[in-house]
Amino acid sequence: MIELFGVSKHFANETAVDGISLQIKRGELCVLVGTSGCGKSTTLRMINRLIEHDAGEIHLDGQPVRSFNEVALRRRIGYVIQSTGLFPHWTVARNIGLVPRLLKWPKAQISERVEALMQLLGLPLAEFADKYPHQLSGGQAQRVGVARALAADPDILLMDEPFAALDPLTRQGLQREMIELHARLNKTIVFVTHDMDEALTLADRLVVMDQGRIVQQGTPVELLREPATPFVESLLGGLDRGLKEAALIQVKERMLPFGPRLLASERIAETAPLSQALSVMLWHQVERLTVVDAEDIPVGELSLRRLLGVTAA
Amino acid sequence: MKQPGRLSLNTWLVPLGWLGLLLVLAATMPYLESLFRVIEPDMREVIYRRAGFFTLLAQHVMVVAIASLLAVILGVGAAIAVTRPAGRDFLPLVSQLASIGQTFPPVAVLALAVPALGFGTLPIIVALLLYGLLPIVRNTLAAIDDIDPGLRESALGMGMTAGQVLRQVELPLAAPVILAGIRTSVTINIATAALGATIGASNLGDPIIAGIVNSNTAYIVQGALLIGLLALTVDSAFERLASAPST
Amino acid sequence: MVKPLQGPNWVLLSLILLGVVAWLWLPVISLAPNRIVPGTPYTAFAVSEGGLFLALTSMLTMLMLGVAWLAWRATRKETWLALGTVVVLLALLPLWLAAAAAELAEPDLPQARITLGAAFWLLWFVLLLALIELRTRLGLSRPMGWLLLLPMMACWGLALWLWLEPLALLREYQARSEQFADALIIHLALVGAAVAASLILAIVGVLAMRRCSGLQRPGFAVLNFLQTIPSLALFGLLLAPLAWLGSQVAWLGALGVSGIGWAPAFLALLGYSLLPMVRNLHVALGAVDPAVIEAARGMGMSRRQVLLQARLPLALPVVVEGLRITTIQAIGLTAVAALIGAGGLGTFIFQGLGQAAMDMVLLGALPIIVLALVTDALFGTLSEWLRPGGEL
Repeated sequence: MIELFGVSKHFANETAVDGISLQIKRGELCVLVGTSGCGKSTTLRMINRLIEHDAGEIHLDGQPVRSFNEVALRRRIGYVIQSTGLFPHWTVARNIGLVPRLLKWPKAQISERVEALMQLLGLPLAEFADKYPHQLSGGQAQRVGVARALAADPDILLMDEPFAALDPLTRQGLQREMIELHARLNKTIVFVTHDMDEALTLADRLVVMDQGRIVQQGTPVELLREPATPFVESLLGGLDRGLKEAALIQVKERMLPFGPRLLASERIAETAPLSQALSVMLWHQVERLTVVDAEDIPVGELSLRRLLGVTAA
Repeated sequence: MKQPGRLSLNTWLVPLGWLGLLLVLAATMPYLESLFRVIEPDMREVIYRRAGFFTLLAQHVMVVAIASLLAVILGVGAAIAVTRPAGRDFLPLVSQLASIGQTFPPVAVLALAVPALGFGTLPIIVALLLYGLLPIVRNTLAAIDDIDPGLRESALGMGMTAGQVLRQVELPLAAPVILAGIRTSVTINIATAALGATIGASNLGDPIIAGIVNSNTAYIVQGALLIGLLALTVDSAFERLASAPST
Repeated sequence: MVKPLQGPNWVLLSLILLGVVAWLWLPVISLAPNRIVPGTPYTAFAVSEGGLFLALTSMLTMLMLGVAWLAWRATRKETWLALGTVVVLLALLPLWLAAAAAELAEPDLPQARITLGAAFWLLWFVLLLALIELRTRLGLSRPMGWLLLLPMMACWGLALWLWLEPLALLREYQARSEQFADALIIHLALVGAAVAASLILAIVGVLAMRRCSGLQRPGFAVLNFLQTIPSLALFGLLLAPLAWLGSQVAWLGALGVSGIGWAPAFLALLGYSLLPMVRNLHVALGAVDPAVIEAARGMGMSRRQVLLQARLPLALPVVVEGLRITTIQAIGLTAVAALIGAGGLGTFIFQGLGQAAMDMVLLGALPIIVLALVTDALFGTLSEWLRPGGEL
C-alpha cells in the first residue's frame, strides 16, 4: 500500500506538487491523469525518491520511504518510462536481467527469470534475447521495458507515460496486455498519463491532477457521471463523455436475456462495449440487436431504449 | 553481432603494417647512406648520428605517452567531476575553458611553457599535457551531455547507484566520443612533441631541426619520415579501436 | 538557461581565493638590470615601502577579498557587483604595474627591465576566468563579454603608452618594431592566402564530390592522411622536392619557390586547411534537412531558388564554422612555418628560444594567441548571427 499525506514539492520558484494526500491500495491500478506540468510525474518520482519531497510524508506499507536506503527502495519498485530507458549498449536479455543482477541473484536464476518474463510479454527468446534495443519496434521496446521493470518481481510498478510515443494501434494492444498482466500478477501499479482515454481504459481508480493538486478521484464511471469541476469535465471530453462511458459498459450489462426467439438482423457480442452497439445501430439504422456469446449463440436482445438505460433498473 | 576472426585481424594489419615499416626504417636508416647521398650529394655526413633513431623514437613515444596518459586521466576525471551533482557548478566554466583553450595554437602553448618551466623534457610534457587535456575534456563533456536523460533516470529508477550508472551506462555509451577526443589529443601531441626539439628535448624532431639549421635535407627527410610513420601508426591504431564493437 | 542565483558561488570563490594566494605569496614582477642578467623577483607588497604604492596594493587586495565576499553571498545583485569589481580589478592591474615600475625605476640603470612574474599571469588568468564565469552566470551575450574587456584594454594601452617603458616585452618590441610589423603582415598574408586558396579548392572539390560520389571516399582518405602527418614532418618532407623543383624549373625558381621560405609553408598550410574546409562544406551542403528541400521543391521553387533561398542560408553557418576552424589552425601552423624560413610571428618564438630570450618568445607567442582568439570571436559572432533566429 502506498500512502501520501500532504506531500509537497517546490522547485526553484514554482510549486510542482501542493499538499496532496492519496491512498493506493495493494493490487490497485491507479492512474494519475492531467495536463502536462500538473505534477503527476513529480508525484510518481517522489514515490521511488528520484525526487525528494519537501513536505508531508510518503509511506510504503506503513513505513516512510525516507526510512529506506534509496537504492534498495528503487530495486523493490519497478519503473517504466516513456522513452523506455533501455540501455542501447546491452542486449534485450541483459537489459531485462538488470535489477536481478544488481541484487546479485545467481546467474542461473537470472537467466531463468529473463526467459520467463520474455515469455510472459510475448517476446520469443530465440528471436529477441540477443537483439539490441535499436533493432526493436517501439512496441517491442516498451514490452522489454515492462519486462525489465518486473524482473525482480517487485510489488509495485511505477509507469510514467509508457505508451505515449507509440502509434494508436500498438498502444491499444499494449493497454489490453497491461490489463491482463495486472489481473494475472496482482501488482500495485501507479500509472501516469495525459491521455484520458488510456486512463479510462486502464484505471481501477482515476486521480485527476491540476496545478499540483488532486482535483478529483474515483472510479472511471464515477468521474464520468459526476465530474467535480469544469476542468475535469473538459478533460473527460465534454459532450463526448456519454460515448466514453458507453465504452466502459459491456453489452451484457444492459441486454434483456431471453430463450430462443425472433432474432434481429444484426448481432453484437455480449462482451462488446455499449458504444460499439450504438455504432452498429447507427450504421445499420436498426433499433434492436441480437446479443451473442463467445460461441455465437444468441443469449439476449439489446434495444435502443435499453441501451440508453431508459428501462434499465 | 560480433564479426570475429578474419575481419578484425585484417583491420589490425593496417596499424601493424605501419608499425613494422616504422621499426624497419628506424633500424635500417643508418645503412641507407647511398640513398640519402642522392638528396645531398655535397654534404660530408648524410645520416643523422648524434643519437640513434631508436633512442629518438623511444623518447618521442615516451614523452607523448606520459603526457597523453596523464591528460586522459585528468581530462576524463575532470569532465566526470563537473558532470556530477557536486561539481556541476564548475561545468560552464570548464566547458568554456576547454573550448577557448583549443583556439590557442599548440606552438604558442609550448613556447609559453619555457618561460614558466625552463628548457628540457619536463616543460614539453607539461605543455603537451595541458594542451592535450582540452580535446579530451571537451569530447567527454559532449559525450556525457549527449546521453539521453531518460537513460540516466531509468538507470537510477531501477536502483543503480550513482557509481553503477557512471561505470555501466555513462562511460560505455560515451566511450566512442571520448576515444575520438583522445585520438585528436594524441595526434596533436605527436606533432607538438616534435617541436620540442627546439626547446631542448631530444626526440624525432631533432634530425629535422638539425637539418634545418645545417641546411642538410637528408637529416630533415629522415626525421620527417619517422615522425610521419609514427603518426600514421598511432592514428590507424585508433581508427581500428574506434571501429571495434564496444560490447 | 540561467540558473537561479543563490548560495555561495563556489566557482568564483575558489578562483578569487587562488588569485589572492598568488598575489600575496608568489612573485608578481621581477626586475633585471639588463637583458642578460636574471631578474630579482618581488611579491606584491615587497615592491616598495612608498605609502601611496602600499595604499594601491592594499586597495587591489581589498577588492579581491570583496569579490570573495560577494561570491559567498551571490544573489543576483551581488553577482552584478562582483562582475563590476572584477572589471575594475582587470583595469587596475596595468595601472598597478605602472606604479610598480615607477617605484622600481633607478636613474643609473636605464636598461633595467621588468618582467611579469607567475603571480601576475596567474591573477590575470584567474580574473579573466572569473569574468567568463560571471558573464555565463548572469546570462550575458558574447559581445557583451567582449565589451567588458574594454576598460582593461584601455588601461593597458594607456599604461604601455605612458609609463611601462621598462617592461621587457615592450623593450623587446621597440627594439624590433619594424621586424614585428613585417612578421605580422607575413603571418596574416600566409594565413589569408592558405585559407582563401583552400576555400576555393574545397568548393571545387566538394562540387566534384557531389557530382561523382565515387570521389568521396578516396578524397577524404587523402585529406585525413595529410591531416595526420605532423606539421614539422610535412614541412620537412615538402622541403626536398620543392628545393629540387626550384633549382630545376627556372620560372618557379624566379618566383621564389625553393625548399625553404613561403612555398613549402603555403603548400603545407593549404594541405592542412583543406580537410576542415572540405568536411564542413560537404556537411553544409549535404546535411540540409531533405524535408526542407522537398518542401521547397513542392511549393514550386526552382532549383536556383532552392539553392539561393533554402540551401545556402541554412548551409552558411556551417561554412563559417569551417572557416573558423581552418583559420585558427592556420594561424598556429604558420608559427611552425617560421622554422623553414617562411617568416611570420613564429620567427620570434624560435629565435627567442634559441637565444633563451623569454620576452622575445612572448613577443611571438602572445600576438599569435591574440590573433587566434580574435579570429575565434569574429567568426563565432558571424556564425551566430547567420544562424536563423540567432542574434548578436
